[in-house]
Amino acid sequence: MKTKILLGTFAIILGLATGIYFFRPHTFHGTVIQSPETSYDFTLTGGNGDVSLSDFRGKLVLIYFGYTFCPDICPATLGNVNQALKQIGAKAEDIQLIMVSLDPQRDTPEKLEQYVAHFNPTFIGITGTQEQVDTVTSLYGIFYEKKEGSEATSYLIDHTATLMVIDREGYLKLVFPFGVTADEIADDLKYMLRQ
Amino acid sequence: MNKYFLNGLYSVLGFIVISAFAFKIFQPIKVLPRMQLSPAFSLVDQDSARLTSEDLRGQFVLYTFAYTNCPEACTAINDTMKEVQSRLSEVELDGISVSFVTISMDPQRDTPEALNAYAQSINANTEQWKFATTTNETLLKTIIGSGFETYYEKKEDGSFAFDPSFVLVDGWGIVRAEYRYATEVSNADRILRHLGVLAEEVRNSKGTTKLAYEAAHLFLCYAP
Repeated sequence: MKTKILLGTFAIILGLATGIYFFRPHTFHGTVIQSPETSYDFTLTGGNGDVSLSDFRGKLVLIYFGYTFCPDICPATLGNVNQALKQIGAKAEDIQLIMVSLDPQRDTPEKLEQYVAHFNPTFIGITGTQEQVDTVTSLYGIFYEKKEGSEATSYLIDHTATLMVIDREGYLKLVFPFGVTADEIADDLKYMLRQ
Repeated sequence: MNKYFLNGLYSVLGFIVISAFAFKIFQPIKVLPRMQLSPAFSLVDQDSARLTSEDLRGQFVLYTFAYTNCPEACTAINDTMKEVQSRLSEVELDGISVSFVTISMDPQRDTPEALNAYAQSINANTEQWKFATTTNETLLKTIIGSGFETYYEKKEDGSFAFDPSFVLVDGWGIVRAEYRYATEVSNADRILRHLGVLAEEVRNSKGTTKLAYEAAHLFLCYAP
């Protein structure tokens, strides 16, 4: 009798432990936003014409703001996203990365297309007029400013380097800070794909 | 053995359901919702200095929207701003600074000089409380109207129709609370309490307690 009780307790504890382990809530690496309304929809121009955020309902959309002359942080982030997508494998077809250019003066849609394809052929790069870009950046919390270089065309742009994830229904769900690793991105995206 | 396994499984599920309910009902931890991203901006303040959204990262910021030629409505707004500012010592902030920003919706008349004169006339401490705007009116409309979701419209006589509001933003640039003056009479108490809730979350969101805080967000355990 005693052994039975002991065994029973043991089984319960073991069950609890494994249960908690398997059912434990996912801890996101990015900051979770629980927005009551869908994220601001915008339409900008890519290499193959106009692209709207709402074109991708049903997919997870990663939004990043950068520019093709960006010396290090944009390539690092885009590279990390590409690695994360590789880790996710076939299901990555439900994920779309969009890079919005902060440099409409120098980044033409064609140039952007080539630039982002260099990291991953599925990536999309879009741009618009200064006014359009200013609106989108402001509403996505992206501050940016030109740092003048030695020549008129050799400037750099300082910018907020967050990576954002829009869920399948169009709600802003996650904000990754700069420095997030490919593993962390993949971990959060895998979880969101299961939902 | 099969029976034990089933018992174990049932108790696990029961335990999880009960703890989820307990968390939802007793709400041991209260948080403020992470509502949306605060808009990014580059404005010019009452000292003609640049004020950007990036400058305010890492601090709690209370925003409000007004204009200097405004009749009574703005007096009430200013009183709330002042009261929160003067009672900050009641809140345990653990060294996190709090900034106050009034964004003017009337850049044509509210030059830095006008803003400065206004700040002085209402005895504002401009070290902590900035008055700012931008002459790019399209962008201003985007920032106040779409970003902070505060309606305003210029009337023919040069005054403005607008919904008075306060927006509380955390150190990551995320909107955590909105206060619409029309529906809340005394905002100062509530704003101060919310600042305390934000600081507490920053203080405790480490290690395992971080999980509890994330659960509080998940279960919408929002501070009243």
